[in-house]
Amino acid sequence: MMEFFEANKDILLFTGAAVVKMALFLGAVMGFTALMTLAERKVSALMQDRIGPNRASVFGFAFNGLFQPIADAIKMILKEDFVPGRAEKLLFTLAPFFALVPVLALFAVIPFGDYVMVYGYQLELQVADLPLGLFFVLALSGLAIYGVFLGGWASKNNFALLGALRGAAQMVSYEVVLGLTLVGLMMIYGSASLQDMVRAQGGLLFGFVPAWGVVYQPFAFILFLIASTAENKRTPFDLVEGESEIIGYFMEYSSMRFAAFMFAEFIEIVLISMLIATLFFGGWQVPYLYETGFMFPGGTELPLNHYLVSAMQVGSFAAKTIFFSWFSLVVRWTLPRFRFDQMMGLCWKALLPLALLNILITGAVMLALGKL
Amino acid sequence: MISVKKVNNRPLNLLERIYLWEIARGLSVTTRHFFTNLFAPKNLLTVQYPEQKIPLPGNANLRTRHRLKVRADGSPKCVACFMCQTACPAYCIRIEAAEYTENSVEKYPAVFDIDLSRCVVCGMCVEACPEDAIAMDTGELPGGALDRGELLMTKESLLRNLPGEPSRKGAANRLANEYLKSRGEE
Repeated sequence: MMEFFEANKDILLFTGAAVVKMALFLGAVMGFTALMTLAERKVSALMQDRIGPNRASVFGFAFNGLFQPIADAIKMILKEDFVPGRAEKLLFTLAPFFALVPVLALFAVIPFGDYVMVYGYQLELQVADLPLGLFFVLALSGLAIYGVFLGGWASKNNFALLGALRGAAQMVSYEVVLGLTLVGLMMIYGSASLQDMVRAQGGLLFGFVPAWGVVYQPFAFILFLIASTAENKRTPFDLVEGESEIIGYFMEYSSMRFAAFMFAEFIEIVLISMLIATLFFGGWQVPYLYETGFMFPGGTELPLNHYLVSAMQVGSFAAKTIFFSWFSLVVRWTLPRFRFDQMMGLCWKALLPLALLNILITGAVMLALGKL
Repeated sequence: MISVKKVNNRPLNLLERIYLWEIARGLSVTTRHFFTNLFAPKNLLTVQYPEQKIPLPGNANLRTRHRLKVRADGSPKCVACFMCQTACPAYCIRIEAAEYTENSVEKYPAVFDIDLSRCVVCGMCVEACPEDAIAMDTGELPGGALDRGELLMTKESLLRNLPGEPSRKGAANRLANEYLKSRGEE
């Protein structure tokens, strides 16, 4: 037995570390997502001069509504799990999984920190450092269309099918823009691995500006922000669902199946916030913070403990994620919805040419600077 | 007088057609509200209703929870004439009439229930009452209970005089007063 452990020490350590990282990271993401469902209602309430949910209580302690996600979950579980008589039972059941699984799998490639030394073992703070991480992200977010389309088609409801068609058209269109906006970044960093990209953003530009992606590619950042909101099917691009007027692809879903679609959307907000932080805002980088501590442009140095540096980097990543999640909520509760033709026009006539132009300009500048 | 507001339907200029700057302006408004309310929740207008009550504005204060007035001998002024029950548009009043054994002229309500969960606080019952027996001047707001049973008001919970209000002696009904007088009991 011991010989087996000795012989396979490396692979066992790697597997154990991966499982621990997955459990911690996914647990944090899920917990944060549950709070996001509350935050959506609280943020919208505060923006509209209201208070928001504050009644769900455990033993009389409400904590201003902190238990609302638990109450929502219990309600969802206790609802009748209804399947329409003429629905395709298998696909109807599979659709929520197709919505949820690709989104969850994407967290594997997100680097949430640099590395920590644990008992002399270097623990990379990323579940899987794929060399083609960015393509993995695009491929799996393309898979999420299946959840939408299967859900609409398997319900055997014409309105749900129309909603699914709208959803598929929207997601496929914006997928193109989403991919093209990232080409510029890949050209600059010369890599598609997200961890490499974050490491490359650790430097300084002109000696004092953090070399974040948004500094190199401000235009791509705006395009990515718009395209990712559309990809996530949130206002102002929520014609797929249109909760107040239009009927969406999951109209025949109830109980936890519906909750899976809903939860997938909220997880996607977190995921997109993480992607924006990773690609454009330096991921876990803190400005002027290096492995050994702070090194300010003036020449001042502040050496710090390795664990403190790691904690600050993970905290910086969390703070950026929280900020962009909050921003996504604010956008959702500020803007009115586009018309469908306006949305498709925006994608094919505005965003797509602009994304291509961005690639052209990036290439031209890099050629002029002799970096190509 | 009808006021006319002139809307300027000019075509959008370039900055507005690009839309991003207008989005940023919209976001600044909502973000300002968000942070103002986050750090100063005192300014929110929401009233946490069952726990927190504010004086009602204007004439809404004239109609609050019902009460039945009481005579000096403790009997209800109500003579169970069913006027309020008939007038009630929400069908929330239920009266069962009974007769006094010693006073065969006058009736009294054996049961007088008001279901506050159905009451629309319209005040029709007060208007309809010929005896001035029912009133909506307690100053308490109806509604806000964790149980439907708590919203059912019975004769016992309705019968009361306001502090300082003199109990009226005798019946309001002329015939009943004449009957009482004839027996020398006024």
